[in-house]
Amino acid sequence: MQDLINQPDSQLQPINIAEDKNRTNIRSVTASLVAISAVSALLSSCKKDEEVLFELNNLELYPSAADKTKLKSNQQFVSILYTNLFQSAIPGSDVFELDALFKSIGDQDVAKEVLISNFFNQQGVNLPATEEMNADIDVFINEAYKRFFVREPNVAELTWVKNFIQNNPYMTPELVFFSFALANEYQYY
Amino acid sequence: MKRREFIKKTALTAAASAIAPYILPSGRLFGSSGSRSAEHVVLVMFAGGVRHQESVGMRYLDDAQIAQPYPGNIMYNMLTGDAPTLKIVYGTGQGGINPIPTLNSFVGNSLQAQGTLFPEMRSLSAGHFGGLNSIIQGADVGSQGLKQRPLNPTIFEYLRRHGGYKATDVWFVGNGIDGSVPLLNYSGNPDYGIKYGANFLAPNITFNEQGFDHLGNAKIYHPENELTPMYKLKAFLDNSFAQYGSALDALGNTPEEKQEIKTFMKLMYEKVQNGSVNLPPVADNGDLYTVGFASEVLEYFQPAFMCVNLNAVDVCHSNFTGYVQALHRADHAVGHLWNKIQNTPAMAGNTTIICIPECGRNDEPNSILDQNDWLSYDHSDDNAYRIWSLMAGPNVPVNTIAGGTISNPLGKVSDAMMTVADILGIKNEVQAAGFVEGGTQSLFNLL
Repeated sequence: MQDLINQPDSQLQPINIAEDKNRTNIRSVTASLVAISAVSALLSSCKKDEEVLFELNNLELYPSAADKTKLKSNQQFVSILYTNLFQSAIPGSDVFELDALFKSIGDQDVAKEVLISNFFNQQGVNLPATEEMNADIDVFINEAYKRFFVREPNVAELTWVKNFIQNNPYMTPELVFFSFALANEYQYY
Repeated sequence: MKRREFIKKTALTAAASAIAPYILPSGRLFGSSGSRSAEHVVLVMFAGGVRHQESVGMRYLDDAQIAQPYPGNIMYNMLTGDAPTLKIVYGTGQGGINPIPTLNSFVGNSLQAQGTLFPEMRSLSAGHFGGLNSIIQGADVGSQGLKQRPLNPTIFEYLRRHGGYKATDVWFVGNGIDGSVPLLNYSGNPDYGIKYGANFLAPNITFNEQGFDHLGNAKIYHPENELTPMYKLKAFLDNSFAQYGSALDALGNTPEEKQEIKTFMKLMYEKVQNGSVNLPPVADNGDLYTVGFASEVLEYFQPAFMCVNLNAVDVCHSNFTGYVQALHRADHAVGHLWNKIQNTPAMAGNTTIICIPECGRNDEPNSILDQNDWLSYDHSDDNAYRIWSLMAGPNVPVNTIAGGTISNPLGKVSDAMMTVADILGIKNEVQAAGFVEGGTQSLFNLL
């Protein structure tokens, strides 16, 4: 460029105006095409966000307790128990520590009772109020069976447990959950 | 019913009641056939592989290390003999130069002086798990797996089934949860098993920081108003489930016993928090902590039988200095335990203690040097079968050394279990069960 500027006027070559016009036209068309493509791409990519709904899969209930034949490991037991009580996942390190603690105690029933007692002494346990339980005991029992045993109670079970709760004034949702968590059926899946 | 008939039937019923066997709480029909020579027995599995030379041999470094002619007794609470005077590395302080002082009650009065030493016995296994099994089963079953419950019944089950002891009368306190130790509290034998098992704790795990975080803040429930209905509902749920055949066997603690154990655990968490666990004067390794908690079990439950497992000496695979330090501390631990027994009113003068390693260690070292350039020892050769046993308590001869030589040992490791059975009156039943090693007998029969 500087060379061109420095050149004396007598040495400047004449510009081919027609060729330049052609080049300019080609450049304009190309630029237009690019712009159109870009706009088209932009328009096509801008889609309205689909409404996404996050939900849990429907829990498949056992038809009866007869299908439960596998014993939970310590780790499975504490993980599932924690989720059943707190409705959230237990930290992985806690599972490992509790597994070791369970191995250090010979009577596993004692270990489980102590653990459950500790859980109920913590904040965050998802527990219905006693008034809520008493307001509709049938619903409470059904929900308890589903939560812990992943099945519905049969008529005999529902009747017995309902009578038991009604006849034991000290029975609270906490004690009902305690019983379910300690029950033999809860140790199986 | 006519009067004569009534009287006749009443008389027959009374006669039948007099001769019929009575049902013990454990479910067994007959009481034990033998008499008890003590009300309590504490069996210390002085385990981890204890080389004869550094223990009963009192050779300290003399046999074990090249150009280290320094003999001596580093187990002076248990054994009678002079301590080393040079090259002391087994104590406390920098380099272990400060030997742990003899516990007061053992000064001039070692456990050996109070009881009987069997200086040359034979183990059935040169390995740890096989050795531990041979102590509690009274046999070393060749097919015993390493991650498997004992194949044959253990002394815990014999006591509960044949002696009628309840679960909280029979305890096993382990040094940890490694090495399949938690599997030892009952066997897989179908005629015995979990319902006759011992209560087990590995206190170094149960009562550590994580134990406190997860289990140390249990809610207290009213026994009648809350726990009773809770257990009733659980019983109903269990009965409903039982029809499908997947019942869970349990250790056999009654609800009252479970409550006692939970209360004990809560007490221990409190004691750990306020630093009041009955630890030995020196408590700087796992064995010493294990024995501290074991002494708490003794005080709280006063069990008929408690077995304690120590094994810190197993560091000898790679560190001889650590081994003699652990051996010195294991001796300190046993002394502390015996002191606790003698200071517990229900157990003082009424308890027999038996200490026995599960196996020894090799005659020749491996090539691993420790910080003092001392060689280490594994356990696989014939020297690893050389063990000993020490016993003290009621009816145990005082200041006695039983016979036995290297070539002609007196007693085998399985005798420890039979001795416990003998003391607590079930020796005949154990022998009749037919699972113990041939030739096994009570140590009392060897005297």
